[in-house]
Amino acid sequence: MQTGEIESLEKDACRVVRGEGDENLGDLLLRLHAYQFRNNAPYRAFCLSVAVGEMPDDWRQIPCLPQEAFKHADLRSFPAEQTRKIFRTSGTTGEGYGQHHFRTLEVYEAAVREGWRQAGLPSSPYLVIAPHPDEAPHSSLSHMLGMLAPRENFIAPGGEIDLQRLQSVEEPVCLLGTALGFLHLFERMNQRGLSLALPPGSSAMETGGYKGSGRHISRGDLYALFGDKLGIRPDDIYNEYGMTELSSQFYARGPQGLHYGPSWARAIVADPVTLAEVEDGETGILLIYDAANVGSVVGIRTRDLAVKRGEAFELLGRDPAALPRGCSRAADEWLR
Amino acid sequence: MNTAQRATAIAKAAEPFRALLGPTTAADLLAWLRAELGSSEVLDRWIDHGMAKTKAVAPGTILHVVSGNTPHAALQSIIGGLLLGSRNLVKLPRGGLIELDEFVSGLPDTLRATVEMAEVLPSAWFALAGALIVYGSDETTAHFRTLVSPSQVFVGHGHKASLGIIWDDPKFASCDPAARDASLFDQQGCLSPQVFYVRESRPGFARAYAEKLSSAMDRFNRSHPRGSITVAEQAEIANLRAAYRFRAAGDLRVALWEGGGNMDWTVVYEEDAWFPASTLNRVIFVKPLPEDPAASIGPAAAHVGAVGLFPCTEELAERFASLCPSRFCLLGRMQDPPWTWHNGGVARLVSLVKWVDFEPPSGLTA
Repeated sequence: MQTGEIESLEKDACRVVRGEGDENLGDLLLRLHAYQFRNNAPYRAFCLSVAVGEMPDDWRQIPCLPQEAFKHADLRSFPAEQTRKIFRTSGTTGEGYGQHHFRTLEVYEAAVREGWRQAGLPSSPYLVIAPHPDEAPHSSLSHMLGMLAPRENFIAPGGEIDLQRLQSVEEPVCLLGTALGFLHLFERMNQRGLSLALPPGSSAMETGGYKGSGRHISRGDLYALFGDKLGIRPDDIYNEYGMTELSSQFYARGPQGLHYGPSWARAIVADPVTLAEVEDGETGILLIYDAANVGSVVGIRTRDLAVKRGEAFELLGRDPAALPRGCSRAADEWLR
Repeated sequence: MNTAQRATAIAKAAEPFRALLGPTTAADLLAWLRAELGSSEVLDRWIDHGMAKTKAVAPGTILHVVSGNTPHAALQSIIGGLLLGSRNLVKLPRGGLIELDEFVSGLPDTLRATVEMAEVLPSAWFALAGALIVYGSDETTAHFRTLVSPSQVFVGHGHKASLGIIWDDPKFASCDPAARDASLFDQQGCLSPQVFYVRESRPGFARAYAEKLSSAMDRFNRSHPRGSITVAEQAEIANLRAAYRFRAAGDLRVALWEGGGNMDWTVVYEEDAWFPASTLNRVIFVKPLPEDPAASIGPAAAHVGAVGLFPCTEELAERFASLCPSRFCLLGRMQDPPWTWHNGGVARLVSLVKWVDFEPPSGLTA
């Protein structure tokens, strides 16, 4: 394994993320795949099991590794001793957590900042309703939020939301947090009979689902609560679609907004059986190609369903209503 | 109509549903009554009961809340209510249940008039019901439990998962029966096995069993193709296959057999004992049998429905009693419970009736 090669790829990936140079994304994805195929034994075994080698003709032929694979193997494409950071999945399914290893965070952090800029997300000041990176050192979300906001703007230390801090806001702010965190905030405000009107121009970004909580609320209903409780207009709320196994994020604006990715990542809505891209308006599973995933694998097969909408997608998620189970109990249910 | 007349009419209407219900003759239904109530006439007349006489009184009205994809459970529930002579109000799943419609249309007018069905639960039905039978998730059953009054009987059938245990089968004779159990109703029923635990009578036997089972699954699929599935269900199976394909590529303790390009069936061999999340729709896991399954298979141990055994002996049923299923049966018959089966560990008729005794002033004469 040659460190020089991955360093070179990291630099190239950074350039593409920052919009510098003129390398074609497909070419970069193919180069990353070839490197990962050679240097990531579990991924290579998977590729060979689906009869794909080091040099597919097209980046769309790069095998997408199932998300769950990160729970069962170290998927780093560099020597273990060079690991600088490990992000972990939440592990709410009772089958352990997945790990995403990083040799450097330079590409990851460039992707966060540039992705935020490309998506036109609101500027600071930010108030964060999520754990600070010091509280959750293995959370990729906390790391991302820690890049965007100083520690004093994390207003839920130890999980206790500082309502006074929210009440004292005098200038437009952007609230950042998980959907579940916001739901807890609204319940807490309900208990106290509290409603706020944050200064006009305030906004929010929410992410994550309700997995493991036994809760579910539609995006539309959640955004209506933002309006009722904080005075934030639904169109000023953004949803982030991301996951520990990726280095890049997709964003949607408003309750009906479609998710768009950054210029260095591609979302393919694919037929679950053939893995061929579906036609516009059709439903399939979401495959993500992320050129910022230099040290792991570029192709990730998510567990989410989506509808193809041009270059964007409409996220359906893992819709439990779409999975009728009769009286046969799925293990997911007793693990809640 | 008396009980025997109702049994005859029900059996006739049930004839087209033999595949779903198994044998359902009037004699079967009356035998069910005798097994649970002691007599098939106890709903119609006084029966000797020690020094007194007794009669079973069925609820005037039973409210059945049935779930989708399990028409057999819904039919069984309604048939029980009809047999008792109760009026039956049925809360159908969204989209209804065509099997139930067809069954009810096959009843004579007098019985048909005792069944009402609705996809949206009329609020008035609660007050009318003397008993409430609910099929569904734990959340659903818990929700309805909170709605009943102390005077109402409540029977909840929460979700269960079933499994098979292959104790001794050197010639793989149980593979075809196991494939039938795992394939019928596309694993939507609570009697559908999701995992087969195979005793390692020789090293590698469980894995060899998985391979033989995959052939049996394929054979069964050729004669009984799987029903249609949604894109979401396809995605669940495809994702599970992809995840196990990844693991199998680098771990000899895992193996995957996939049937058909259309997600027809899937067999996964895995060495650990954990009862995993199944996507259903003919996805079956094969694992070596642990020493103490109840202590080894994880949270599923608290929700075991039926256990299919091979061979099926009382000794093995005793050995695995700590799994606390409501049923041990021979592998291959997991989907064919007799009418007398205590679903969820509950005697289905006796749990609904009340008893009224008559004590003759002079006592019973011999």
